[in-house]
Amino acid sequence: MTRAQLAELINVNPQTVGALERGDHYPSLDLAFRICDVFGLPVEAVFSRKPFAPLSTELYARNDRAQGGAHVRHEQ
Amino acid sequence: MSATNSEPTILDRYEDFRTRRFLRHEETYANALPRWRTQHRRRMLVVGIGASLGLMACVSVVCAFGFRQAALLWVPATLVFFPMWLMLQIVLGRQGDAPRRTLDEFELQQRNNARSIGLVVTQNLMLLPIGYLIIASTTMRDVDAKAALDMAYAGGLMTLAVLMIGGCLPAMILGWTRRSDELAT
Repeated sequence: MTRAQLAELINVNPQTVGALERGDHYPSLDLAFRICDVFGLPVEAVFSRKPFAPLSTELYARNDRAQGGAHVRHEQ
Repeated sequence: MSATNSEPTILDRYEDFRTRRFLRHEETYANALPRWRTQHRRRMLVVGIGASLGLMACVSVVCAFGFRQAALLWVPATLVFFPMWLMLQIVLGRQGDAPRRTLDEFELQQRNNARSIGLVVTQNLMLLPIGYLIIASTTMRDVDAKAALDMAYAGGLMTLAVLMIGGCLPAMILGWTRRSDELAT
């Protein structure tokens, strides 16, 4: 999806989408929900106070934690 | 308790009218001057406008010293100013004075910031012609009518220059700070 397409869907200027991506603008609750509606995702999946880690990192970290947890449970 | 769905007031109706008129005009010029929609070109326009406004301010000060012919320089300054101002307004989509409903929240925030600066600058610069007129009118009690006319003329030009600077400043700030139009990526 291009910035222009997203901008049209959420009824803002493409410059505003760029500003959101760069972190130059914090969206209002209304705009945040409009963006989430476009992607069909909850707010916490689209916006975060900290930069998102790569998906692979999160996925492998979760697998490691699961395996680690299983290992601990096995030892017990 | 007040009703939430109240009848639109005259201000609401005027705002609707302004919005419709703005959108109609904006549609005409939305894709005009595509090469001037980069930040570099916009900044060139802002510099040109700033130079012409600076020349107007200088002319008004020179006139205060009795050189009325200096006012002729106002004409070329105006001839430079108007085309550049129109171009800047077109490439900015008249963000500086667009009706509220035609801007999104980020554009509104940018515009409010720019207008706030413009208002402060106008208020402060306006003290200069006011001070000049007050001080000159109290110290030049025994001058002839020509000198008094020069003072009033120069004061009028100074006020006009300051109002133009303050009025144009929000659009100039937006033109300077706004990034190049985003590519569809």
